[in-house]
Amino acid sequence: MKTTDYPKAAWLTLLLVSAFIVGWELYWRHENYVLSYNDDESLWASKRKLIYQSSPARPVLIGSSRIKFDLDLSTWERITGQKPIQLSMVGTSPRPMLTDLGNDKDFKGTVLIDVTEGLFFTPTGSFPEKEAINRVTAYPKWSLSQQISFQINRVLETNFLFLDAERLALNPLLNLLPIPPRPGAWGGPKFPPEFAVIDIDRQTKMTDAFVADTTIQNKVKAVWLDIGAHSPKQAIAGPPLLEILNSTKQSVDQIRARGGQVVFIRTPSDGPFRQIEKQMFPRELYWDRLLAHTKTPGIFFEDYPALTGFHCPEWSHLTPKDAVRFTEDLIPIIEKKMSWSIPRSSFNPTKKNMSSL
Amino acid sequence: MVFNSYTFIIFFAVLLGLHNLPFSWRAKKINLLLASYLFYALWNPPFILLLWLSTVVDFYMARLISLEQRLLRRKLLLTVSLVLNLGMLSYFKYGGFLLENFTALLAAVGIVFQAAKPDIILPVGISFYTFVTLSYTLDVYRRKFAPEPSFLNFALFVTFFPHLVAGPIVRPEDLIPQFKTPRRATAEQLSWGLFLLSLGLFMKVTIADGLLAETADLIFSLPFPVQTLDAWMGVLAFSGQIFCDFAGYSTCAIGVSLCLGFVLPENFRYPYAAIGFSDFWRRWHITLSTWLRDYLYIPLGGNRHGSVRTYVNLMITMLLGGLWHGASWTFVMWGGLHGLFLCIERLWRDWSARRRAKVAELVVDGSMISRASVIPPIAISNSFTRFGLALLTLFLVNITWVFFRAPTFKGAMLLLLAMFGIIPNGATMLTNLAILTVSIITVVLIGCHWFMRNSSLVQLSKRLPWWAISLGWAAMLILVILTQKSSGSFIYFQF
Repeated sequence: MKTTDYPKAAWLTLLLVSAFIVGWELYWRHENYVLSYNDDESLWASKRKLIYQSSPARPVLIGSSRIKFDLDLSTWERITGQKPIQLSMVGTSPRPMLTDLGNDKDFKGTVLIDVTEGLFFTPTGSFPEKEAINRVTAYPKWSLSQQISFQINRVLETNFLFLDAERLALNPLLNLLPIPPRPGAWGGPKFPPEFAVIDIDRQTKMTDAFVADTTIQNKVKAVWLDIGAHSPKQAIAGPPLLEILNSTKQSVDQIRARGGQVVFIRTPSDGPFRQIEKQMFPRELYWDRLLAHTKTPGIFFEDYPALTGFHCPEWSHLTPKDAVRFTEDLIPIIEKKMSWSIPRSSFNPTKKNMSSL
Repeated sequence: MVFNSYTFIIFFAVLLGLHNLPFSWRAKKINLLLASYLFYALWNPPFILLLWLSTVVDFYMARLISLEQRLLRRKLLLTVSLVLNLGMLSYFKYGGFLLENFTALLAAVGIVFQAAKPDIILPVGISFYTFVTLSYTLDVYRRKFAPEPSFLNFALFVTFFPHLVAGPIVRPEDLIPQFKTPRRATAEQLSWGLFLLSLGLFMKVTIADGLLAETADLIFSLPFPVQTLDAWMGVLAFSGQIFCDFAGYSTCAIGVSLCLGFVLPENFRYPYAAIGFSDFWRRWHITLSTWLRDYLYIPLGGNRHGSVRTYVNLMITMLLGGLWHGASWTFVMWGGLHGLFLCIERLWRDWSARRRAKVAELVVDGSMISRASVIPPIAISNSFTRFGLALLTLFLVNITWVFFRAPTFKGAMLLLLAMFGIIPNGATMLTNLAILTVSIITVVLIGCHWFMRNSSLVQLSKRLPWWAISLGWAAMLILVILTQKSSGSFIYFQF
């Protein structure tokens, strides 16, 4: 029987794979793709590990996509000298993470909870909580081996564009195939790749291409309408709502009993999105009730002149430039509302100077 | 650590380098043992104590059993080993399950008992290394071989990292002799080992995790009925996922071992081309099925005590085989179904054999000619019929997977009713892309299994030119790199 030259096959394989990697990377660089990190369990866990170092100057952020876009971590760091710990997750309710922080006996820090009503007020264990629950339950099992892999991956992701799992992995590429939709089936939202990128601190930012191009912005608006068409038409009410309020109160009380601090934040939205939110989640029935029930202060963007007037290009999130301004304006409001004294960084250029950047 | 991680790549590269340095064989074995402990400890360091306990107790207990001549004392020593091994396994794997069922039983007779909820974490690989050490002690007890005099060889046999956490379940005769003489992979073994590692990663990362897991997870997690097509696609997706996940692990383990110069036993042999369930179990998780055969079915009496006892023994073996997979009644049901199918197959074969003998008798005296021409016997040698029987087997295997994967009996029944159209107008859940992906993979998987049924990858590779192997190998690696899922655990780690 003929014997194959396996070592020769191995060397050719190495050559072919290396050539592919180089070619693939060069192609995406040529296409002007922007570096983006994979916002996976390990990146989240690496931030979750930091919560015990939290303070008013370095709060833990939990919420949905809005606080990931709208609160600029670098700006916060520039002002206070410390970077917030970003635990929020796109498309999820922050409640599983709040429960996690409440149950963590060692956590005594400061929490800023972003409230996007359509995600916050969803039944316990429902779909918008699924991924957040996965992260929270996976964290205690984050093994030493996974932590080492994460550190290696971080170096690789910093240098190679093609390792963008959100946009350039096999499944997102397969999603680009021109396969007609199946009547009645919804494969979930499909955001244009230019919408946003994620940095190593889990900050999400719109790309320059997105900010500059209303056609791409309209695609995202269409995605919101699509999500709306597949979402419940009635907001949660009655006993299930009371259960949400009670569980939130329990977690907030747990954190406060240990000396921690909590504040709710409602970031800007506009256009038809804001109109639908007003109709589905009237402020007095949801936001006001949440604050009253949990006896917790909150900052609603419409209550503060400095926080109004922002334009969300796709109705729901701020541009990177506006996120800087929003963050600069939010810090003094939090300080005043909560009577906190947030220390200032020694290097703190004036607001005017920074806004002009 | 898992094979599909960056940590493993670094670990393996360093280990390969050290293994090929001019150290003494003993030093290399110590190096392999320490590396295996590191491989295990990087999951959850405290559980390494259990592994040490199991290793030390079984090494010395087997030695005492071998020296002892009095039967009662030998049995007592064996019992100590069994109680320790099975006790550990029962506590960690079945503690919660036993308590839950005990509470339910008390409630059924009207006694309210509120047990404290056990907070037990399952040590990775405990089911696998428990079976490995058990087989050693049992074989020494049966005087199949003398106990291994070298503790280093024995510890390495138990702990050798490629098989440690998810098999193949090695026997002492598979591995211990290989530790006796210096081993180092040839360039050919190293290349073939790397090829197998790449193939295993491709099966796990690209097929199981990348292309099938999402569909299976979605369909099996729904609390409401879906359309018949969606239900079948969910089950087929899991069918492909569980094979590619587990056979992928075994292939990686075999490849990694080969790179170091060691040969591990085959664990899968194209099971989705099996004709009948006995054939299926000769092809699926071979090292578990042979373990159950040698240490459970045959000691129970096997087929030596008449038909009824044979069927009872088969059912006991498969029910316990189901329970080995997990502490849940759904796994017992899965094992029970496999046992039932094996019994039916055996009944059918016995009946066919009797019928053939009877027909032969009648043909001889000339009274059966007309009936024989009206009802022709099934031509098993016919390829088309054999393929049909393989598909029938796979169909039934897929029915059993529903109980294996569904989180509850209710969920399993809901899915089965949807699969057979008994619940009409279920929800449409899957996209055309998901349906297309699952369909293509299923067809390719069945095709590969059928055409490779009586062959092997090594035989195939010898028929191909080296550059063709290289093209396929490179395509697999590129797809692994593109899939970019590096942290998914193997399904069998939970068993």
